[in-house]
Amino acid sequence: MFDAGVLNVVLFLPLAGAALLLVSPAERNDFTRRLTLAVMIVQLALAAWLYARFDANVPGLQFETRLPWIAGWGVNYQIGLDGYNILLVMMTAFLGPLVVAGAFSAITKDVKLFYAMVFLIQFAMMGAFVAQDLFLFYIFWETMLIPMFLMIGIWGGERRIYATIKFFLYTAFGSILMLAAVIYLVYSLQQTTGVISFAFADLVKARLPLDVQSWLLAAFALSFAIKVPMVPLHTWLPDAHVEAPTPGSVILAGVLLKMGTYGFMKLGFPLFPDATQLFTPALMTLAVISIVYGACLALVQDDIKKIIAYSSISHLGYVMLGLLSLELVGIQGAVIQMVSHGLVAGGLFLMVGMIYERCHTRELAAYGGLAKLLPVYSVFFMILTLASVGLPTTSGFTGEFLVLLGAFKAAWPQYMLGTSSLPLVLAVVAVTGVVLGALYMLRFALTFLFGAVKAPHHSEEHPLADLSGREKTILGLIAVAVFALGLFPNEPMRKTELAAKAYRQLVSTPRLPGGQP
Amino acid sequence: MISHAVLTAMLPEHLLLLGIVLLVFLEIAGRWQRAALAVALVFVGAAAMAAARLSLDGYSAAPFAGHFSVDPAGLLAKAMVLALALPVLLMSRDEFADGEFPVLLLSSLYGVCLMQSADSMPTLFLGLEIMSLPVYVLVLLAYRRPQSAEAALKYLVLGGTATATFLMGASLLYGTSGSMSIDTFTQALASVDTMPRTAAVLVILAFFLKAAIVPFHAWAPDAYEGASVPVTAYMATIVKAAVLLAVVRLFGPAKLASPMLELLAVLPLVSIVWGNLAAMRQPSLRRMIAYSSIAHAGYLFYALLGDAAGRLQAVAFYLLAYGLLNLLAFAALPGATDDRERDLLDNLKGLFHRSPFAALMIGIAMLSLAGIPPFPGFVAKFLIFKNVMAAGHTTYAVLGLVGSYLGIYFYLRVIQFMFMSADAPVADEGKAHGLAFAASLACIAAAAFVSVFPGWIIAGF
Repeated sequence: MFDAGVLNVVLFLPLAGAALLLVSPAERNDFTRRLTLAVMIVQLALAAWLYARFDANVPGLQFETRLPWIAGWGVNYQIGLDGYNILLVMMTAFLGPLVVAGAFSAITKDVKLFYAMVFLIQFAMMGAFVAQDLFLFYIFWETMLIPMFLMIGIWGGERRIYATIKFFLYTAFGSILMLAAVIYLVYSLQQTTGVISFAFADLVKARLPLDVQSWLLAAFALSFAIKVPMVPLHTWLPDAHVEAPTPGSVILAGVLLKMGTYGFMKLGFPLFPDATQLFTPALMTLAVISIVYGACLALVQDDIKKIIAYSSISHLGYVMLGLLSLELVGIQGAVIQMVSHGLVAGGLFLMVGMIYERCHTRELAAYGGLAKLLPVYSVFFMILTLASVGLPTTSGFTGEFLVLLGAFKAAWPQYMLGTSSLPLVLAVVAVTGVVLGALYMLRFALTFLFGAVKAPHHSEEHPLADLSGREKTILGLIAVAVFALGLFPNEPMRKTELAAKAYRQLVSTPRLPGGQP
Repeated sequence: MISHAVLTAMLPEHLLLLGIVLLVFLEIAGRWQRAALAVALVFVGAAAMAAARLSLDGYSAAPFAGHFSVDPAGLLAKAMVLALALPVLLMSRDEFADGEFPVLLLSSLYGVCLMQSADSMPTLFLGLEIMSLPVYVLVLLAYRRPQSAEAALKYLVLGGTATATFLMGASLLYGTSGSMSIDTFTQALASVDTMPRTAAVLVILAFFLKAAIVPFHAWAPDAYEGASVPVTAYMATIVKAAVLLAVVRLFGPAKLASPMLELLAVLPLVSIVWGNLAAMRQPSLRRMIAYSSIAHAGYLFYALLGDAAGRLQAVAFYLLAYGLLNLLAFAALPGATDDRERDLLDNLKGLFHRSPFAALMIGIAMLSLAGIPPFPGFVAKFLIFKNVMAAGHTTYAVLGLVGSYLGIYFYLRVIQFMFMSADAPVADEGKAHGLAFAASLACIAAAAFVSVFPGWIIAGF
């Protein structure tokens, strides 16, 4: 009971924080910043406590709260933690204070409104992860758009209006079709079983014909694939990332994109297993195209934010590949990869923000030899670059390696039996993504850190200042997390193991009408 | 005990009538103009409370059998519409300079109440006219501006056309069935003969005209723009609510079949799409809201596609969410010396820095009207489309949802102007006066309640 209460506090704390900001004085920016940071740290502490208390040997939901909300429609306020969301909740809570601290110097305009938006998006993201009721999930899922829309639109770069409207309209289009699918799904469930419910646990019992499953999966997948984003629905992402202020980019890359892959894992695939089986080759191909195409695009960018933005497309392709492999290692690798990408891409965006605050340009060609100018910065940058490339001992290695292992493990028997050689081909192509990843990240680091010294606003008399204590703390925490996940992946993987098994069970069992229950 | 039933069942109407009489006396006395506002508020509020009280007591009666009857769900809807009139009164402090304003408004509300309980075509017609006639004058009251005369005339002529169409339909219904009851309409819907069908179509078209469904919508943008802001708010919320609730009552238990089904699906669908597209290019908030209300009328008529049992629930909840947030936007609108300048979208640029509260309120209203969660507009839209889909009209539901997607852009545009644009050089922009502030607080509080406990309200209908 008490633990469930703590989870509710974790969820609603940011909302309370936003309310606090509403009544706090407008002109005292430092007070606003500290208040926000304090609330976020409390949230992280409570989330960590829940993480520690989470029992890896118990299948299903823990710390569950379930209250009737709209009784007539079978809508419940139902939240809880399970192996699907525990790591993502932890990561969201972890990035919260870092985003806030990173915004101390990045945001100087409308400070109070900004932190209110950070609170609101934190609330919505946390809610989408812990929601166990489709209606509740949809509400959080959509609510997320509003603060991000304002964040890019108010504090963004030059083309911010274009970027933010594109972001909103893109994602809202997916959502509206998903809404139609949600209504249809719940209605069909009521038709076939007589139960009217939005609870995930009830919805996975729906038995639908293959064509209905395919349509519904298409609607869900459109919404999720836009969020991930998967090629060819990715075009909003570079614009949004480039125009967003640093904290916005961190939230976007760190958590928001995971919503898409989490949605596939928790809802899209388990709800429509037969359609998923049918479309697995197509989806897998798209995932691999995302990996390779994203990497190729990252290779030719000269805007440093764009490099990381396109690398996100590539890295999330691995997550999709892992989820579709239906091998235990692949699924668990996908979850680790989600967390790892959240940490690494979030950290890289923070670092880009830090250099941007000093030099006011994001053009790669304007920089060189930063290793001599900013040694501490460069060390952290190198750590994150190598984590992004997937160097062993970092989190990026754990994620990508397990995903590829899963992909091969799934593909090999099919190849040997002669049923299909496509998975093997895809797995091999996916491996080239790792090489390409090394190529673009190392090119980036090479130009950025080594070579002749140059940086805008740098001169002998006014050298660039290296990282401040605040910045060192932020990056130090991220680096610790990256290594922890790389060196000791056992504990987090144990927490997701039962969920990965449940997921594989749900997706690989046919659920057409008339089958065995 | 007929007389007792007449007193009780019509209590909301009686209270309004009492208020009207009192207001007329105040006007004749020529004093206590400030008291007029209080009197109007008290009597509308009392009428709303009376209706709510009767509804909660589960009261139902038919004091004039076959013409006028009340039941708990209908009374709750009546209470809701009357309660929505309270913010309108609060925000129209300046309109009270014209002594006839409150008299007209309360008279119109009397018509609104009558329509919600009409059992026969003549009563419905009476209600419709008592509601509409004062509104024509209310539009004209903004005579400080040249467009208002034109707007009022357009509204009058097209409103007259709607009346004529309705009467034609009603008389044809009487001619075929020999009955004045509104049940004849339901029978005519199911009929395969030409005459009753024609009659039903005429009645439907009259209501399409009143609710501004494409292609009968052309009067709305002009009338909305010509009227003063509170009157626009009144037209966009209360009049629309009254018309739609009357339509639901008229349709009763009817199950729609082809070709009526197509008529009631396609034209609202076109309204949704066209209203949302046209709203993108409007220069003023009032015109934009006019087009948005055309789209919303489309969603509301969509509710008729659903099963009869859920119609009142869906429409009433939608009207509540839509009305509250629409009124919120109008109440929070900053004041200006020139009413015409007041709502130019360009003047909203940078509003957040001048008046954060107003910008936040208008922003929330826009998001809710766009149907974005967690605001009440979402649950309302969900309810309607859920019913449409449950009735098996999946294609129409999906098309309607895609149509509603088209509407997101222009609502976002308002937010973009208020939060993301450089400040507009606005001369003498006054703060909204205290009463309008109270109105927006009341609306936002009610909206917050509706979005946190939608189930509680849905269960009421």
